Amino acid sequence: MPRYGMVIDLERCMGCRACMEACKVENNTPEGAFWMHVFRFEEGEYPDTKVGFLPRPCQHCENAPCVKVCPVQARYMQDDGVVLTDFKRCIGCRYCIVACPYGVNHFNWTPPEDAYYLDWDDPDLEKATGGAVPPYDNPDLDQPHGDRGTLVAGGGHYDGTTEKCTFCVQRLEKDLLPACVSNCPVDVFSFGDLDDPESAPSQALRSRRAFRLKEELNTSPKVFYVGQPPPSEEIRPIDIVSSTGGQ
Amino acid sequence: MATSARTAGQGLLSRYGWTIWIGILAVLVAQGLYSFARQRIDGHQLAGLDDTAPWGLYIAGFVFFVGASAGSTVIGLTVHGFGRKDYEPLATRAILIGLLSLAAAVTFIAVDVGRIERMFLLPWFWHNPTSMFFYTSITYYVFAAILLAELYYTVRLTRGSTEPRDRWMAKWLAIMAVPFALVVLHAPHGALFAVVKAREFWANPLLPPHFAVVALVSGLALVIPVAIVTSWLKKRELVGTHTLAHMGALLALLIAVTAVLDFFDWLVFAYSDKAAGVAAWDILFGSHLVLSVIHVGGYMAALATLFFVLRFRREWLVPGLVVACAITLLAVAGYRYNLVTVGQAVSLLPVIPVNEYWPSGTEISIAVGIIALTALSYSILTKVLPLEEDAPAQREEPAVVTGRLAPAGEST
Repeated sequence: MPRYGMVIDLERCMGCRACMEACKVENNTPEGAFWMHVFRFEEGEYPDTKVGFLPRPCQHCENAPCVKVCPVQARYMQDDGVVLTDFKRCIGCRYCIVACPYGVNHFNWTPPEDAYYLDWDDPDLEKATGGAVPPYDNPDLDQPHGDRGTLVAGGGHYDGTTEKCTFCVQRLEKDLLPACVSNCPVDVFSFGDLDDPESAPSQALRSRRAFRLKEELNTSPKVFYVGQPPPSEEIRPIDIVSSTGGQ
Repeated sequence: MATSARTAGQGLLSRYGWTIWIGILAVLVAQGLYSFARQRIDGHQLAGLDDTAPWGLYIAGFVFFVGASAGSTVIGLTVHGFGRKDYEPLATRAILIGLLSLAAAVTFIAVDVGRIERMFLLPWFWHNPTSMFFYTSITYYVFAAILLAELYYTVRLTRGSTEPRDRWMAKWLAIMAVPFALVVLHAPHGALFAVVKAREFWANPLLPPHFAVVALVSGLALVIPVAIVTSWLKKRELVGTHTLAHMGALLALLIAVTAVLDFFDWLVFAYSDKAAGVAAWDILFGSHLVLSVIHVGGYMAALATLFFVLRFRREWLVPGLVVACAITLLAVAGYRYNLVTVGQAVSLLPVIPVNEYWPSGTEISIAVGIIALTALSYSILTKVLPLEEDAPAQREEPAVVTGRLAPAGEST
């Protein structure tokens, strides 16, 4: 059984956010939901300032606080190390959100059908695009996936539940890489089996100094960062994204 | 019959006044229901919450009422454990306050969760033994069962039962309720926050015992004004001045213990060299300054008021107690609110901006509705249940010698 993990090369990242876009398209996340987020920040004092980027998917922690605190085991870890949400079990208490040290969870504050970017039922939409509107639903997401064989991929984005990055579980089962990994133009992400010494992440980690976010909390994330030191406490976030979505 | 006797001697609580009171509460409940319906249809976006601050007023209300519920059990212990029969006229009311506070707490959770229909499957069908929330959900059912059983036997005694089993059950249920409420029920609510190591403001091992003491403070501060207001409305003393003074002294002691715990809690933060600790300190004395003043200043003002009326102006005892209890309840509410919100107002990572949370109109409306529903239920239940003050047996207070408790030998 593989133990999936990811290595993110901060030296390569140019903040284009193609990974965020790919994630949105693959997982049909509603407005305000970012399972993958690239934070842009500034550090230093003018004129010696520089801009940095920090892509942050779910860290799929080995010792995941969200899994521990979920009262109904809606949040669980598969044998392959991927942390998933059983949407038909989640009660929406949001304990996982407060317990996560990385802020990766999104609660569907707005009924997802009211939080899509476009109104797919609007006839004017098809006119405007010349009939080139793809169906909103990714049918893969509505199928049961994972060890439990339940709805864990996020299809429909269920009202009143919490969701987050799944490492694209629906793609992993087809031996495809997560959407963010496949679509990055500069190969920032290495994804694969951390226990396999020949896998892409193992090779990326072998020769470079790596860090994990908030290692002191002993959550043992399976997402590693290389290429640059962790962002310091003095950095200034550049942009703010509303997480409530909708209107 | 007890109910008719009460109707005849209602004092200020005339049929007309009672109807107006119930009407006001019903309107407040209705507006809360309307806001809740809107939240169900339009989603939790109507609350002032977001992914950076997912818990707010509802969780603060939940923690406040669980604490009040646990704290109200102290009356039963005083009657049965310490033999203070002068507290007995408050026994049924205290149990009711405990039960209704617990119901209010669960209602606050119910309006907060995204899938209310699944919430009640916990803990019966779905469970996670490592989750404090799973654990606390079991304790609600057990605590409600203890309080209901205590209510049953207390009512039987009030109705004149002389069976030794009834007295034995009422006594031991009341005594058992206190350690259960404080150690098994409420302290784990402190742990609910304390185990979240991602939030430095919460990850504090002092929190569970702190919660237990605050529970006693809020429970007592809720029961004392109920006793005074009931006496005022009925134009008949529910408990005597000496008993009120005793309750006031007990409240002062508990507030002092809480204040000491708060002091050391904050002292540790003042010395924190971690970014999250410094940020929490800045928030407490920045945007949350008013709430911090209500919290700490409230305890100090309540203590000063209690000391003044107990030591120097015993004739002002009743208004002094009402003022002190009101300030105390505000201080506890401020503490609960600050605890829940400041913990989340600190950014998890330097790159993540935090949106400061303040409750929305919908949240306030629903919270007011839940509080009104609790008051409405209390008003109706005290009408229909037989209460100690209507029981035929008269109970005597311990004698008072110049404003102090009489030594055991002098008691009448």
